[in-house]
Amino acid sequence: MNIFPFRSPIPRIKMASGTDWRVLLACLVPLLPLLLPPSAQALTRSEVEKHLLCYACPGEPLSIDRCSGGDRMRAEIDRRLALGQDKETILAFFVQQFGEDILTTPPKKGFNLVAYAAPFVALVIGLAIAGLLVRRWAAAGSRRAEGKESGDASPPADYQRLQERVAKELDQLEEDS
Amino acid sequence: MTMVTLGNLSQAAALLAGFAAMILLLIGLMRNDLRFIEAGRRALFAVALFASMAAVALSRLFFTDAFQVEYVASYSDRALPLFYKATSFWAGQEGSLLFWGWVLSLYIALVAWNTRGELRRKNTPYIYLVLAGVVSFFFLLLTTVSSPFALLPYTPADGQGLNPMLQNPGMIFHPPTLFLGYIGFTIPFAYAIAAMISGRLDQDWLRKTRRWNVVSWIFLTIGIILGGQWAYVELGWGGFWAWDPVENASFIPWLISTAFIHTAIIQERRNVMKVWNMALIVLTFVACIFGTYLVRSGVLQSVHDFGATGLGGYFLFFMVIVSLASTLLIAESYSELRTKHSLESLLSRESTFLFNNVILLAIAFSTLFGTVFPLISEMVTGKKLTVGEPFFNQVNTPLFLILLAITGFCPLISWRKASADNLKKNFLLPFLLSLAGGAALAIAGVREFYPLAAFTLCLFVAATIIQEFVGGARARQRLTGESAITALLRVVWKLRRRYGGYVVHMGLVLMVIGITGSTAFKLEKEATLRMGEAMTIGDYRLEYTGFKTYKKRNRTVYAATIAVAKNGVPLGEMETERRYYINARQPTTEVSLRTTLKEDLYLTMPMIGRDKVITLKAAVNPLLFWGWLGGGLMVLGGVMAIIPSRRRRQAA
Repeated sequence: MNIFPFRSPIPRIKMASGTDWRVLLACLVPLLPLLLPPSAQALTRSEVEKHLLCYACPGEPLSIDRCSGGDRMRAEIDRRLALGQDKETILAFFVQQFGEDILTTPPKKGFNLVAYAAPFVALVIGLAIAGLLVRRWAAAGSRRAEGKESGDASPPADYQRLQERVAKELDQLEEDS
Repeated sequence: MTMVTLGNLSQAAALLAGFAAMILLLIGLMRNDLRFIEAGRRALFAVALFASMAAVALSRLFFTDAFQVEYVASYSDRALPLFYKATSFWAGQEGSLLFWGWVLSLYIALVAWNTRGELRRKNTPYIYLVLAGVVSFFFLLLTTVSSPFALLPYTPADGQGLNPMLQNPGMIFHPPTLFLGYIGFTIPFAYAIAAMISGRLDQDWLRKTRRWNVVSWIFLTIGIILGGQWAYVELGWGGFWAWDPVENASFIPWLISTAFIHTAIIQERRNVMKVWNMALIVLTFVACIFGTYLVRSGVLQSVHDFGATGLGGYFLFFMVIVSLASTLLIAESYSELRTKHSLESLLSRESTFLFNNVILLAIAFSTLFGTVFPLISEMVTGKKLTVGEPFFNQVNTPLFLILLAITGFCPLISWRKASADNLKKNFLLPFLLSLAGGAALAIAGVREFYPLAAFTLCLFVAATIIQEFVGGARARQRLTGESAITALLRVVWKLRRRYGGYVVHMGLVLMVIGITGSTAFKLEKEATLRMGEAMTIGDYRLEYTGFKTYKKRNRTVYAATIAVAKNGVPLGEMETERRYYINARQPTTEVSLRTTLKEDLYLTMPMIGRDKVITLKAAVNPLLFWGWLGGGLMVLGGVMAIIPSRRRRQAA
């Protein structure tokens, strides 16, 4: 005995392209936990450290460096973490002390924005070119398939266009003469 | 004859043999005379012989503590164990350059031997010519600018010793394997150039160099993984990859060669993408040279480089020449390389391979751009910035996730044309499994976007790969009636090139799991402890229970004993050290590591104070074991893909 008023619990609704709504729902439901807030984690020294260079060893990341100058910087980070300061405030302190050269990451401003944007611009350009090529190749493939299906009885479109152009130019020549 | 004289003469003879090979080959080509070409081929063996003599001479100088030789005095001392005296060969700039030239000469000799019956082929003399040109360049530098046999004006009583950080078993294999990878790409490059010059642009060059490509890729992979392993266990900062310029320089050719290996498959199957593949192999070779330029030029600061060695300009010049000549050749051959591409469908494996190439090259570009951005910034703004780990993580992580997704999609889409049925059959189960797995992870508390996306995609890719293995085994089982295990093993062995690729992909999945786990969920803590005091990190309790000092060969060791307990259960003791090496300016920290399938407990002792008070740095790196295992699988998959078939082995 069917206890449900419908044949299936959710009525089958077809999208224009034929996609089943239930599949779509099944895909979306597992994503709901993403709406939950992310688990809060306390800021650690290493998270701050990796954004800084050692002031005493030019070019050496603080996370790798073990010199006494680096130890002083680490102690300062610990002190500020104990005061409850966030990463941005601590980094701002070091920038104020030593300038922007102390950061391992270029600040997102001015010419530095090029560094952040260029990879994605390159990706978009690459994908666009690849997309165009694939479309062109697929079009060539379908033309070839059509040609095969029709047994290649008719001349290709390019040839027809060429014939029309030759005829037109001959007409023009006759008119000119 | 002393070893120094032998070394100098051998290097010079190798250079002369290289030049002789070039001249003989050119004469042979101009006169169309096979005798000269054969003589040129034989001269290539002479290069290998003399290069080997130079290598033996340098090794002997290390073993006999010949400190009158500047290179030996700089990288060895009397107390250095024999084992590390052997590895000191490539510890410095000059020795590593000789190592490069020597290995290249051996590779070339192998090519010359394998092609001994192919002299009449139009492209063979050009292959020899390109190879002779490259090896001569290296020996020109060795004999004129940077010789490892240069003498000091006096003989010091002892050498300066090997950098303590290089006294690690990982350093025996890391540089040579990386070099074997870099150098190996010279061979496919030579074949490609020869194909363009000779006009033999069929797939012959690609088929002949497939194994060279994959073997070089395998060595590069091993080199990169061993480098990460060495950094992890030796440098003591708790990580394995710092996006250092020199690390990046090894990663860029790896990415480009990975792209090349993928599109080479398309050319082999469909005879298309010829221009693209030519460009990729040239780019791979140039990227390899760029790597050595970066290490030897001193233009960027790195913990791995040799500083300003005076060789930067030569390598830059070489790179420019190679790039210009190759571009010119590709442009000249364009009309012959160009093929009429056609695809049966927008969605096919061919098209997904093209997109996979775009992503790989985008990561290569972003890594290169980030690496050289300090120089660009200095040129434009006059200010040299540092571009470090956070930048690369920020820019490359989304690109890696796209790559991971495409790694799952690519192999399951049919060649030529993917039908709706094909897509549904191959993707539905992995797709639903990964969504369910992702949801479970989110409920379990993994809610940061990147880790959640990475793990979900890993599930997806792993499910698609397992499905392929199961599908293949079942199909064979139906045909032959074999047991499931036998059918699986036989189908994998029979189609090892294809399944080797899947194993590489599975390795990538495990690597992503390891990297994501150990970076996103890493715990770190540092504490100053007196004897008997303890610190906690995660579920671990670490108690400082003992301290000892002892001398061992070339070092004095200060070791702290730490009793480890997890959730109250004692797990035993770990010992972390601080070592003072003879002739070293700074002490080194020795990592103590406890690895399980779930996580690594990583201990270092950055400082020792008065009264044996120690600073203990502890880290818990979840899932990292799987990353190393993934690296191993990638290598295994690569090896599987190049094992020749029985027919080929018999023919050989």
